[in-house]
Amino acid sequence: MDEEFERLFKRIMEIERNLREYIEDEFRKAIRSFREDIMYIEGMLAPMWHYEGYLRPLYSIVDRGSYYEINIDLAKADEQSIDIRFSNNLMYVRARLKEDVGFSGLSGRGGKARFHEYREVVELPIKIDPQKVKVITKRGFVKILIYK
Amino acid sequence: MEVYREEWMGDFLVLEYKPIELQKPSYAIISLPDTGLVGVISAWHITKTLQLSEVGGLDSYTYLPPIVVVSNKLLRTPIRVFSGGNILIIYSEFIPAQQGLLQLSKILVNYMERKGVDYVLLPSGMPIQNRFEVENLKTYYIATTPKALELLKNMDIEPFENGFLAGPYALLLKEFTRARLNAILLLTESFLEFPDPEASAKNIDVISRIIGRHIDVKELLEQAELIRLRARDAMKNTLRGLAQMRKDVEYAVPLHT
Repeated sequence: MDEEFERLFKRIMEIERNLREYIEDEFRKAIRSFREDIMYIEGMLAPMWHYEGYLRPLYSIVDRGSYYEINIDLAKADEQSIDIRFSNNLMYVRARLKEDVGFSGLSGRGGKARFHEYREVVELPIKIDPQKVKVITKRGFVKILIYK
Repeated sequence: MEVYREEWMGDFLVLEYKPIELQKPSYAIISLPDTGLVGVISAWHITKTLQLSEVGGLDSYTYLPPIVVVSNKLLRTPIRVFSGGNILIIYSEFIPAQQGLLQLSKILVNYMERKGVDYVLLPSGMPIQNRFEVENLKTYYIATTPKALELLKNMDIEPFENGFLAGPYALLLKEFTRARLNAILLLTESFLEFPDPEASAKNIDVISRIIGRHIDVKELLEQAELIRLRARDAMKNTLRGLAQMRKDVEYAVPLHT
C-alpha cells in the first residue's frame, strides 16, 4: 500500500514538474517573441540617420557554430577611427566618416543635414569576453568574430 | 505630368504618362529589391547614364505600402517605369507583399507582351557567404528560351545549373518561362544583406554587351561607398521581405540535381 502510494506521489510530482517546466517554457517563448516584435517595430520606425549628424550602419549577426560573425557596413568610414567596444552583451560601434556627407535631393531637414559619423549599439546573443574577439576591416566593411 | 492612360490589372493600377513606343530590338530590365539591391542599383545607374525618362508606373492599394514617391515636385508611384530608345525599365525600391508578387509577376508578363518587348533582363544577385573576401565576382545566367540564350554567346558568364532560387526573381522567371517570353536572369555574386554596387557594375557590364550599348560603370564604382551609404534604408526595408520569402533557401544544397 505504501509503495503504491509512493509511486502515485512520485507520478504526481513528475506531472507537476513537467507542467511547471512547460508553462515556464511557454512564458519564455511568449516574452521572447513579444520582445522581438517590439525590437522589430522599434527598428523599422527608427530612422537610419539622426539630425545631430550621425548615421546608423547596416549590420548582420550570423551564428557560425563555434563563433558569431558580425558584419557591419561602414561605407565611407575612416578605418582608423573605427571604435568597437563591448559591455556585457552590448556592442558599441562608432566610426567617423572620411568626409561629411549630405543627402542631396532629399527635401526637409534630412536634405540639409550633414553627417559626420556612424553610431550604433548592437545587442548580441551572448555576453562578450573582449579577449575572444577578432576584428577585421576591409573596404569599409568590418567583420567581427566572437568566439564562444 | 498628366496621366495619358490608366488601367487596373487585378489589384495593380498601371499608369502611363505618355505613349510608350520602343525601338527594335527592344529590351526591358526589371529591377525589384532583392539580394544586395543588385538589380535596383543596376537599373538606377542605367536609367541615369542613358538619361531615360519616366513614362509610367504601377501602384497597388492592396499589396504595396501606402506610399507616394515625390520626384522633382511630381507625384510618382512606388513602382516606376522609365523608357528611352529601345529600353524599358521597371524600377522599384519597395518589395510588394508576398501575396502580391505572383499577381505583379503575371501583370509584368502581360505588360511586356503588350509593349512588344523582345527580351527581358532580370539583373539580380546571388548571395555568397564569403563576399567579404571575394573581389572577382562571377556572374551566372538562366535563360528561358533558346532565343534568349543566343544573346549570351561568347560571354564569359556561366550557366546556373543546379540550386534553389527564392524571392521576386524566382517568381518572375517562372512566369516568363510559362509565357515563353525571352528572359535572362543574371545572378552576380554579392552580399545578401548589404547594398552591393560592385555586383551591380558586373551585371551592368553584361547588360551593356547584351543590348550593344556602352554603359560606363566607372562612376558607379567610384561612388560605390556613397551608394552603399545612401541605400541603407532601401536595404533595411528589403530584408524583412527577403526573410519572409525564405531567401536562406538559396544557400541550401538540393538532394536531387
